[in-house]
Amino acid sequence: MPLVATDAIVLHAFDYSESSRILRLATREAGVQSVLARGARRAKSRFGTALDLFAQGTAQLYLKEGRDLQTLAGFDVLHARPALGADLGRFAAASALAELVLRFGTVNEAHPALFDALAHALDHLATAEPAQASEAGLAGAWHLVAQLGFAPSLGACSICHADVRADGPLPFSHVAGGVLCAGCARTHPGGRTLPSAAREAIATWSGAGRVHGLDAREARAHQRLLREFLQEHLADGRLLRAFEAWEHGGWSAP
Amino acid sequence: MSAIDELAAELAKLPGVGRKTALRLTYHLLKQPPETSRRLAAALERLVERVRRCSVCANLTEEDPCAICGDPRRDRGILCVVEEASDISAIERTGEFHGIYHVLGGRLSPLDGIGPEDLGVQQLVDRVTAGGVREVILATNPSLEGEATALYVQRQVGPHVAVVSRIARGIPVGGDLEYADGVTIAQAISARREM
Ligand SMILES: [Zn+2]
Ligand SMILES: [Zn+2]
Repeated sequence: MPLVATDAIVLHAFDYSESSRILRLATREAGVQSVLARGARRAKSRFGTALDLFAQGTAQLYLKEGRDLQTLAGFDVLHARPALGADLGRFAAASALAELVLRFGTVNEAHPALFDALAHALDHLATAEPAQASEAGLAGAWHLVAQLGFAPSLGACSICHADVRADGPLPFSHVAGGVLCAGCARTHPGGRTLPSAAREAIATWSGAGRVHGLDAREARAHQRLLREFLQEHLADGRLLRAFEAWEHGGWSAP
Repeated sequence: MSAIDELAAELAKLPGVGRKTALRLTYHLLKQPPETSRRLAAALERLVERVRRCSVCANLTEEDPCAICGDPRRDRGILCVVEEASDISAIERTGEFHGIYHVLGGRLSPLDGIGPEDLGVQQLVDRVTAGGVREVILATNPSLEGEATALYVQRQVGPHVAVVSRIARGIPVGGDLEYADGVTIAQAISARREM
């Protein structure tokens, strides 16, 4: 059984037996992995108490082909992110980013750019002012979508590829994967209407930029659009629970 | 499905029990006198019949209110909030806490679909606003999710009670400073106390 050492971030953790935990990791070399951390619940565990959600470090994995659950031999935490638990808006947004990678990331396949985008997004979120947590989460999520290769088409019709640069609102189709020209919008009804500022924001976020001055109402509209867009790209039909909780829960500061 | 497969399938649903272990347990029971299995079945039956949630604190109990809520010697001014009923037993074993409890029934975990409205926080707020509580101790786990949960509860009950405190975290007893991780050491230092 090959022992692989790779950079990893904890995306999800739950107790397995009295002493063990199952972790779901984003790794740089081996994609998304579910691993069994034997003894991780014990007070004096070899994994240490810092092996918590969103922590980053070097994971030693025993990877056995054809297995859903791999074995975690060790995890050296180099960078914990306790700040993501110190504000509810950050916590909810970070959970949504984790869900995005869990649901869209591939198993056993190295994707260094996706890993780095996730690490970067979590760090930004950890230092975001509570009022900016939603924007930081949206920025991270759209950048991850771009790394995953399905960023929406915003300057050209996503069906006929005609140039649709306009100052006004444009129809946006989740199914088609972007904006529509007037002609295609007639043959593909449904979807949403996107103001130009919203299109610019998504384009900025997809390119790892930041958008300033987003108010709470605009942020919520963006969260809804993002969730619908992601849901449309999932084949299994399972709900994006963390995205729903982020959108609906009373997370943000009162 | 055979009776053997049926039991093994049920056992395999338990946390930490795989298919192999479930079969081993099943064959083990078959080697024992029939009484062993009958007693196990009867105990399971009694468990689901008798055990329920305390209507005051949501502890698991056979009588309502539970033994702790019904004990006149407990200090009703100090209320300790925990994630699960099993956490109460852990604290009770120490014999150091003489207040009362409130079980949230979990912790915030968006990935598991558990949001603020899924925890018993409103019941807690109702208990605190009813009066008599001087201090709420937040004893959720010292994990990132536990911290977020504590933060949420603090925000909800804070306006209604004089003191909201959080259990300390740091170097475990018998632990070694040299081998503790940076996060734990930093927390132990920030939660230091004068002596
Ligand atoms: Zn078109
Ligand atoms: Zn009770």
